[in-house]
Amino acid sequence: MTIDCIQVEGKVVLHVVGRMDAESAAQFEGQCDSCISEGSTSLIVDLGDLSYVSSMGLRSFVGVAKKLKNKGGELRICRLTGLVRQVFEITRLNQLVPMYDSVESAVIGG
Amino acid sequence: MPGIPQSLTLIAKPESLAPVTEFVRKGAREANLPELRVRELELLIEEILVNIWQYSYPEGAPGTVAVTYSVPRPGEMEIEVADQGVEFDPLTADPPDLTLDLSRRPVGGLGIFLLKSFANSMNYRRHLGWNRLSFWISASP
Repeated sequence: MTIDCIQVEGKVVLHVVGRMDAESAAQFEGQCDSCISEGSTSLIVDLGDLSYVSSMGLRSFVGVAKKLKNKGGELRICRLTGLVRQVFEITRLNQLVPMYDSVESAVIGG
Repeated sequence: MPGIPQSLTLIAKPESLAPVTEFVRKGAREANLPELRVRELELLIEEILVNIWQYSYPEGAPGTVAVTYSVPRPGEMEIEVADQGVEFDPLTADPPDLTLDLSRRPVGGLGIFLLKSFANSMNYRRHLGWNRLSFWISASP
């Protein structure tokens, strides 16, 4: 799994590529923690190129979403496809975290 | 060969996830499962292995996990995962409350729920000191 961190319209966007499993989930959470400690209160995560996520990955998403909410911000997720979309829908995480079809719409929010 | 069970036994630890995943992928190719079903199979295997190394064996004393698959006919795969750890039937675990809001939602507890959601059928038995969890997966959901 690789994570690219870019700024779009002043907001931090994490582009996650590959597989988020029991071995790599901590890497994602660590990257989010770094952004939060650098001052980010909201994060946008682009999952368009993530092909796989397990419950260990979901644990990281819920943990990060809670941390951001406690700071008055939020986690926004965009471009889910395939198994990743299925897993978010089955576990109803799509009702806890705002989901968007594109990075642009996630940046605008609402 | 079709129908002949294939087995792999490894130490139940995080580093075993990759070889076990590759092992079941081989079976999925034999069964000609579509890519989305292969990903679901990988998810099932990971959730079972994580449960075993987190709960079946005491910390510092990992044991073995034996994964067996067979392809009874094209488009179908039967899988059994067995361990000699603490007796645990994941099928009796309480379902998570998916209606809780973010502040009350626990960070974990979704693995067994995903297991039950994606396997076509799942069976647990305790036999001669082994936990044996079996399921089958087909080309169509």
